[in-house]
Amino acid sequence: MSVDGIIILENSGRPIIQSGFRSTNATYPLLHIDTLNNALASSPQKEDVDPVLYVPGYISDGKHSACCHVKCGDVRILAPIRGDVDPLFAFAFIHTFVEILQDYFGTLSAATLRDNFDVVYQLLEETLDSIGYPNTTSPNQLRDIVLPPSLLHKILSVTGVSGLSNAGHGNITPFSSPIPWRKAGLRYNNNEIYFDVTEVLKAIAGPTGTLYCEVQGKVDSNSRLSGTPDLQLTFTNPDYLVDASFHSCVRLRRWQRDKALSFVPPDGRFTLMEYRYLPPTSRSLSAPSTQVPVPFTLKPVVTIEEDGGSFSVSLTSRLSTRLFDEIVVEFYLGDGSSGVNCTASHGTSWSFDSRTSKIRWDLKTVPPSGTHTLRGSWASSKKYPRPAAAFRVKYDIAKYSYSSIKIDQLRMSGETYKPFKGFRANSKGDVDWRW
Amino acid sequence: MSGFTGRQAPRKGENYELSVDLNSEYRDKRKDAIKRVIASMTVGKDVSGLFPDVLKNMQTEDLEQKKLVYLYLMNYAKTQPELVILAVNTFVKDAEDPNPLVRALAIRTMGCLRAEKIIDYLCDPLQKCLRDDDPYVRKTAALCVAKLYDLKPELVMDNGFLEQLKDMVSDPNPMVVANTIAALSDIHFASVAAGTDEALFTIDSSTLQKLLIALNECSEWGRVAILNALARYEAVDERESEHICERVVPQFQHANGSVVLAAIKAIMIHMRGVSGEQFRRTLVRKMAPPLVTLLSSPPEVQWVALRNINLLLQKEPGVLSNEMRVFFCKYNDPLYVKVEKLDIMVRLANEHNIDPLLSELKEYASEVDVDFVRKSVKAIGQAAIKIEEGAERCVNVLLDLIATRVSYVVQEAVVVMKDIFRKYPSQYEGIIPTLCANLDELDEPEAKASLIWIIGEYANKIDNADELLGIFVDTFMEESYPVQLQTLTSVVKLFLRKPETSQGLVQKVLNTATKDCDSPDVRDRAYIYWRLLSTDPGAAKAVILAHRPPISIPRTNVSPALLEELVSEMSTLASVYHKPAGTFIGQGRIGADSMQKREDASDDQFSAQKAFQTVAAGQQAENLLDFDDVPSDQPSGLAATQISTRIPAAANLIAGTSSNPLDDLVSIFGNLGAEQPIPNPASPPNIFGSPPAMQPQQQQNAFSGLGLGGAASPPQITSPPPQQAQKEEDLLGLF
Repeated sequence: MSVDGIIILENSGRPIIQSGFRSTNATYPLLHIDTLNNALASSPQKEDVDPVLYVPGYISDGKHSACCHVKCGDVRILAPIRGDVDPLFAFAFIHTFVEILQDYFGTLSAATLRDNFDVVYQLLEETLDSIGYPNTTSPNQLRDIVLPPSLLHKILSVTGVSGLSNAGHGNITPFSSPIPWRKAGLRYNNNEIYFDVTEVLKAIAGPTGTLYCEVQGKVDSNSRLSGTPDLQLTFTNPDYLVDASFHSCVRLRRWQRDKALSFVPPDGRFTLMEYRYLPPTSRSLSAPSTQVPVPFTLKPVVTIEEDGGSFSVSLTSRLSTRLFDEIVVEFYLGDGSSGVNCTASHGTSWSFDSRTSKIRWDLKTVPPSGTHTLRGSWASSKKYPRPAAAFRVKYDIAKYSYSSIKIDQLRMSGETYKPFKGFRANSKGDVDWRW
Repeated sequence: MSGFTGRQAPRKGENYELSVDLNSEYRDKRKDAIKRVIASMTVGKDVSGLFPDVLKNMQTEDLEQKKLVYLYLMNYAKTQPELVILAVNTFVKDAEDPNPLVRALAIRTMGCLRAEKIIDYLCDPLQKCLRDDDPYVRKTAALCVAKLYDLKPELVMDNGFLEQLKDMVSDPNPMVVANTIAALSDIHFASVAAGTDEALFTIDSSTLQKLLIALNECSEWGRVAILNALARYEAVDERESEHICERVVPQFQHANGSVVLAAIKAIMIHMRGVSGEQFRRTLVRKMAPPLVTLLSSPPEVQWVALRNINLLLQKEPGVLSNEMRVFFCKYNDPLYVKVEKLDIMVRLANEHNIDPLLSELKEYASEVDVDFVRKSVKAIGQAAIKIEEGAERCVNVLLDLIATRVSYVVQEAVVVMKDIFRKYPSQYEGIIPTLCANLDELDEPEAKASLIWIIGEYANKIDNADELLGIFVDTFMEESYPVQLQTLTSVVKLFLRKPETSQGLVQKVLNTATKDCDSPDVRDRAYIYWRLLSTDPGAAKAVILAHRPPISIPRTNVSPALLEELVSEMSTLASVYHKPAGTFIGQGRIGADSMQKREDASDDQFSAQKAFQTVAAGQQAENLLDFDDVPSDQPSGLAATQISTRIPAAANLIAGTSSNPLDDLVSIFGNLGAEQPIPNPASPPNIFGSPPAMQPQQQQNAFSGLGLGGAASPPQITSPPPQQAQKEEDLLGLF
């Protein structure tokens, strides 16, 4: 197990912050940075660079390594790994680290990292041990040992009341809790827990119908409960939720046995579970693929001419009672496109980004069964432009879920108070619609 | 930085200001100065001159400030150990601080300093911290032992830290257990890599129970450590293997992908000890959904998941046979994800899903990215070869694609058609005219060579074959070697089939190839043809027009033994690169040696010997293929060239001293060439004289070689199919 460290590069490929690399050669991180920058420079599409790059070692030691990298906002995060390590381990750690940074700073950008470099350093030290073993990554525990930059913190330091050993929490020492994801001795006046369900429909559709469609759901939770509550949560229709994966706190065997979520929640925000929604109708049929209907239809017509092209696309909502809160349609027109001229139907707007050659059509609040159209033409410096084979449609529907998931019951043991529970569902979609 | 000499604080400039601030009487000013020092350190400025000033700030109540000072110390410990010695007292004192965070921080930092002189002071505090009341301190101290072992193994052994760690496996706190396991595993691997025979950490049955309990209670990283340790455990009997599998399966549902992969790996290994077919199948079926779930993650995670799915499918085909649509490419997927999905789609193809697959592949063939389009066209060909029932539909799709007249699509389609002709000889002759109509558009060697091969193979069915080949003979010297070789062979084939119309052509091409061509391969092949034609046209016919076995797509693209290795290394770099770890880690943590030891010990159904031969074969074949620029999938040329260039290998085989894996290959080709009973059909008129410039000595070699090749291949040799070479080439492509 050896994630040798973390290097954060800014857009230009220069390192902003990196962990100590104390057990390796001093040139080791540089070697990785160079490998990545070379790979990026030699690839026409930056996002097409392989996520795991092979880094040959020196001739003398013959120790080869690999460089796992992830683009995140305007920075790129590298994790050099050596030996028989799972690259997914590196990626999982990078993603966890990114979440921690976002949790601490709100957004992740080169500027915020520079401004808070001391905090980032402390986080690096706490999360990744120098032999490459991840340490404390639970936000609950980290906040005890690395103070997030906050106004209060600044005031404290100015008035001289700084320091963690005497900064609140009374007599509760960090890490005294036997449960690694939960602080001990929490106290709230209002004991509440919220569950936010987000279901994302991912589909590929085309003139011949829907080729592939899948709904993935996620239950985010925000817990503000005192003490050590032991919760048991059941849903109304758990049989339709398949391939579920859970936060560390969930007792997996309970789910296997009776589809109930039994857990002691972490404090604050966390993702409780993720699942795939398998609609009931498809179970009886022999067709194995899940088919939740795509809630709109798109009628695209694209004509390509020698020096450009024209298109018309009309979008019709198939929802009968609800409305779309937002729809964005994106279409790549091909390299060297310019002179885009479109007419969008009332209430919608379009824009063209000449850098990415993408046209973007924004539709706000499409009513049930409503139809909108966008017509336009473009010129191209290349003969017979090659636009994308598909329109990409993303949308939001608030207070709706494909699976109509509901909480059946939330029981609590271990504490005496009665918690307030909140529940909210939201739906999104990401559809490739081929023409 | 000007005016900076030695370690004396400079009198002016940035460092001087910092030094003044570090000695300020105000606490916040000092702290701010430390931050600025760290900032300078990060951008590579030398702030080592401030060492004494920074050190003064080490004793503080403020934990954050303490951490920053520690950070500074860690940075300079390596280069200036004599300065760090000054801080030792504070460290030792901090390791007894009432605040557990300070204790843990001190012990962790001391472990990181990596300075010989400090290490000796580390042992006493470490001893205490390993027995600390606070679990956070204990778990930090556990990892510190591993670091100490890395620096000075004898200290760990002399102080009994190892025994202490082993006791800590029974710690009530699951995180301490996880870290202890991680530390013990690290120590174990380090000692194995260093070449000690004694196993420092073996898991026994009582440890196993503790691990299985801690598994459900610790953080994701702890779970990965425990699962990896479980994968090393050797179950005593089948019941225990089953028990482990049952306890690990729930981990498939963890949100963290690396936990899922580590669990799959552990189960793959313990599944070998389970004989119940039903139980095994249930386990394998349960592996697929969590891997598919990973496909909704960011692209880089998808990629790793896809590589592992690819491996799993080679081991257990049919796992995901109903889920092909999950792997359909989205337009915005990055190229590396698309390519991997494509490979998996072909793997999953069967006669039931061929139609959606083909329409999908056809869609991809119209996309913008040239590489991806080519791979899609190739995938159509693979599907055709894999599924006989769907071959005709595949051919129709290819014809549609050829009709688009997009240059690279047409060329790739021609290459693919050649393979289809090899698999289904004389089934799709009707489309040959369509292919020939595109002759002018081909400009890539592989496509040209493919079309020439088709023309040569079906020369008697194509009326104007001599005209078409004539075009290539005229431009012979301008073509690349593969095209030259193929032209040569095809013209000879044409001559053997239609001697009356092509005498002039064959004479011309043999002349050009032997006299003007500078490639030894082309020239030697021409000589052999010439010699064959001039001495025994019947034999020539038997060799050149010999029946060839149809090709097939290998179910796996790594050899079975290697696959078994890789599967047990699932969830490691090896599985992503589809190469055994030993080949790219070198003598690192688990080098090839230790792997062999493991294999020997655990008397697997795959003897270690076999696995290593395969691995070695893979490596050697790679080397050989590196400078072999004759595409090895040219069946018409193989019999001739391979033998002529690889005689020494065949000779080795007779002597029984062979170590070259390609011997087997050669022997097959030998069989092909010489085992054929030589009939004596109406031979074409012998119009050839002796080839001009050939030395007698050389001739003799060539022919005895041919004989050797045949004689040297006893029929009981079970040789890998000729695709082997191709496979290893695929592997090569990864790096």
